[in-house]
Amino acid sequence: MAQSGFDRRRINGPEESFPPFFEADNSPKSQSIRTTRSPKEIRPIFLQPGLILQANGSAYVETERAKIACAVYGPRQSKNTAYSEKGRLNVEVKFTPFSCERRRAPLRDAEDRSIAVAVQQTLLSSVRLELFPKSTIDVFVVVIEADGIEACIASASVAASTALANAGIEMFGLVVSCAACIIEDDVWLDPTQDEASQAQGVLVFSCMPALGKVTSIWESGQMKPSEALACIDVCEERCSEIHSVVAQALLSATQHQ
Amino acid sequence: MSSDFLLPGQPVPLPKGPLPQLGKGLYIKDSQVRASLVGVPRYEGSTLAITRVRPHPPAPNSVVLGTVTRLSPIQALLSVSVVDGIPLPPGEEFTGVIRSQDVRATEKDKVKIGDCFRGGDVVRGVVISLGDARSYFVTTARNDLGVIFATSEAGHTMEPVSWQEMRCPKTGSIEKRKCAKPEGL
Repeated sequence: MAQSGFDRRRINGPEESFPPFFEADNSPKSQSIRTTRSPKEIRPIFLQPGLILQANGSAYVETERAKIACAVYGPRQSKNTAYSEKGRLNVEVKFTPFSCERRRAPLRDAEDRSIAVAVQQTLLSSVRLELFPKSTIDVFVVVIEADGIEACIASASVAASTALANAGIEMFGLVVSCAACIIEDDVWLDPTQDEASQAQGVLVFSCMPALGKVTSIWESGQMKPSEALACIDVCEERCSEIHSVVAQALLSATQHQ
Repeated sequence: MSSDFLLPGQPVPLPKGPLPQLGKGLYIKDSQVRASLVGVPRYEGSTLAITRVRPHPPAPNSVVLGTVTRLSPIQALLSVSVVDGIPLPPGEEFTGVIRSQDVRATEKDKVKIGDCFRGGDVVRGVVISLGDARSYFVTTARNDLGVIFATSEAGHTMEPVSWQEMRCPKTGSIEKRKCAKPEGL
């Protein structure tokens, strides 16, 4: 056999190969309509502060399949940084290897960091950092199971803000946030992974309902200005409901102590 | 009781009249007093505050306890582990510095750091400033501030004999320290 590339010491595949056949996927993807809730409804939220005992403050949030744990440490002394009058808020996001449909390597990658920046932006203006000179507040978010990255950012900010309040770190107000997407010119709240992948544009809205202040708006994909404004209006409405969930969770956790 | 609990951002109900002084856990924005912690605001004298006993970083005038970790002719390094009577979580110590001019109030230029502290001594001090990027500046220039616990070269706990000397009860040897005056004397 004068075949080039043939090696008797290795297991060689068959000489000819064919791509696998799949049954044609007839159902168009955009037909997967939500059945459990209406487009303007969000998934039910389970929120429990104070589950991680080693941390100064912590919170666990679960919205159907999405599960996120958050721990707050500090204020501790900032190491290896220049003198600063204000404190620093350090947010780190980690995904468990089994959190997504594809296995995630346990290394930090670009997506972790961009989510961490998004979460940090939602929290930054709510924390009274001027009271913590030279100190750092560490917020660690672990995504145990993710269902849509945008909903993940929203839940992570809610969990982080609850954990900060649980840790007794002074803040101007509680931050809650809500995600929305545009599917076929319609606003859908709290999109799951499938819905977000079909959406033309996705928006994460964060605010402090107690003060009526917006802390951050994070948008990706395509969206008309009118659609973005519609998303913001609907999210703002839902945020006051999420705020009452957070308030209830914090109050019952404080009274049990 | 549950209605008395406030959440961050919640307006604080106040009686009409002049505003009280605001302590920790409260802030004022757009002439509205709001809470910034979870808890119940209480009056302590004329100041209204939400108090939560939790570790906090040193601030000027806080009393700190720390161990001497390093000595040099101009300063002693301190690992601060208790701030205002509240212990910090393990591994989250702050570093403080006692400069030679801050050791005592008189004869500042005759201070020898080696005759005032030794490595491992537990020192009570007061923070005078936020210091530089690395450490907080701590002073012991008061009668009740200084070394509160030290072991002799033989390894026994020493007792103070004067404000400048400590004696080992086992060997009777005298070592030099800047002692803190014990409380209740």
